Amino acid sequence: MVEIMNKKRFITCHSYVQSEINMLMHVADKFNFKVNTFTHILEGFKVADKMKKHGAGASSFSDWWAYKFEVYDAIPYNGAILHEQGIVTAYNSDDAEMARRLNQEAAKAVKYGNVPEEEALKFVTLNPAKLLHIDDRVGSIKIGKDADLVLWNEHPLSVYASAEMTFVDGIKFFDKKEDLVLRDNIRAERNRLIQKLISLKKSGEKTQPYISTPKRFYHCDTVGEEGEEHHSH
Amino acid sequence: MKKIYFSIFLVYINFLVAISQTTPAPKQQGEIVITGANIHVGNGQLISNGILAFTNGKISYVGTDISKVSANARRIDAKDKEIYPGFIALGSSLGLNEIEQVKATIDESELGAMNANVRSIIAYNTDSRVQNTLRTNGVMMAEVAPKGAVISGQSSFVQLDAWNWEDASLYSDIAIHLTWPSPYRYSGWWAEPGSSSTNDKYEKDVARIKNFFDEAFAYSKNPPAMDKNLRYEAMLDIWSGKKKLIIHASLAKAIISAIGFAKNYGITPIIAEAEDAWRISDFIKENKVSILLGESHNLPLREDDDTDQIYKNAKLLYDAGILYAMKVNGFWQQRNLPFQVGQTVAYGVPKEAAIASITANVAKIFDLNAIGTLEVNKDATFLYQVGMLWT
Repeated sequence: MVEIMNKKRFITCHSYVQSEINMLMHVADKFNFKVNTFTHILEGFKVADKMKKHGAGASSFSDWWAYKFEVYDAIPYNGAILHEQGIVTAYNSDDAEMARRLNQEAAKAVKYGNVPEEEALKFVTLNPAKLLHIDDRVGSIKIGKDADLVLWNEHPLSVYASAEMTFVDGIKFFDKKEDLVLRDNIRAERNRLIQKLISLKKSGEKTQPYISTPKRFYHCDTVGEEGEEHHSH
Repeated sequence: MKKIYFSIFLVYINFLVAISQTTPAPKQQGEIVITGANIHVGNGQLISNGILAFTNGKISYVGTDISKVSANARRIDAKDKEIYPGFIALGSSLGLNEIEQVKATIDESELGAMNANVRSIIAYNTDSRVQNTLRTNGVMMAEVAPKGAVISGQSSFVQLDAWNWEDASLYSDIAIHLTWPSPYRYSGWWAEPGSSSTNDKYEKDVARIKNFFDEAFAYSKNPPAMDKNLRYEAMLDIWSGKKKLIIHASLAKAIISAIGFAKNYGITPIIAEAEDAWRISDFIKENKVSILLGESHNLPLREDDDTDQIYKNAKLLYDAGILYAMKVNGFWQQRNLPFQVGQTVAYGVPKEAAIASITANVAKIFDLNAIGTLEVNKDATFLYQVGMLWT
């Protein structure tokens, strides 16, 4: 709490409706602290001017709605409206599936609201960096920043785009050409294991029913490396 | 003086009400001719600088010869714009569900197991808030499909601009949905998966379906005049192929079993989801099975699958010469259907073939003669706009 008052730790608030967003800003103003970022913020467009005045940022879904009553009024123009009001606006995913196509989500800011392309790309690069206070290190290609880069085969806001290479801290983590070779290796290895299992079974070895060990993904309630409470939205 | 103010007030109120209503448009008055547009016919054909004419809701001319259309018709100049057939959202809960987490608004499934007689069309809400959000992205028709149970029930195709389900329905009760048991049991949820293992109830679950089909088939040989069994009655048109059988199956094992099962009764099923279809494309092709390819905005099925496996499934089916259509899960999500289809172009499906996967191919798979392409005598249901649907 003290860290929050001393602006060493920042508040990210899961939020949907204008009533709760406005309420929290009033509470924050009363006690002299700031809400750094409202996430999801699907009714942000209704209180965008107040959010700007308070100094909050926004991280929204591009076009989700109708999954709970609090988002029944959500519109895909939310991001564009918040952005137009001068609020630092980002688009987030909610899971691993969407996290890998945030470039497409950013494109929706162009489609729904005519946000200029360079600004729309910032929704998934520089703006979230700003909201996380790490924009001195990441979020744009600038001398002195971390070499976290993506080489795209097409305009990243195009549905045709896919990553050719990715670099994290200057280290090449992904290379499409090399990945194709690795895929062949995986296929060969998979086949080798299957053939081995078949021959062992034929030679009379003991078999057991198939059981696989689970692999965890991160979600917004993940604490440490062990998943705990069930995630609800 | 007072009278005038009151009339203005009434007009104002009517105007307000009109904005929030999804009031269906009135019937077409007179012929309309659109000129100058790039017409994506839906079957792979692209007509540049084309002419589209329609009367009484039906297409009367598609081509490039202006002399073939009436000189008196209302003209719309659509130079350099694109025209697409209305897209069809398959397997949707549109009009059945309104808000996912508000239980009272969810009407996509029924209690019971073999619900062949459940007709989801009668629960279809024409005035859901969702339809208009789909139409602006070109989705103009939908298969309203039930979920849950083993046999979920019957689906219907609707157009999205109607007062009631009867007016909305283009093709009622034309398919029965069956979910094939999974050979594997999964536990947990996407972020915290539990262990997965062989489904030891698989054989039993398959036997239960077989039992129902055997009984329904026997019933069909001599249906009674009285004391009808509604479930078996609902299956009568399945045996002739008049009603389609859609079997939901994802893994190769399940798909093979499902096709084999249906063939025993002389039925060629449609397989939906089919994430593994590419692995057994020869088998699917031999059996002349069409595929309703499931949601592509998902992670790959297996840990060792190619990272883009699910994105390239459509291309693999296209290359194998399999007739397929694309679908997206849910109801409000259907507005993203064109983008998922556009993504298949990134993986090599030609643009017009991609468009076909949510237009002409759907019509072909389900024998829907009046929709799916912009051809003479078909419904004039289309979208026209500036620019490509996706870039």
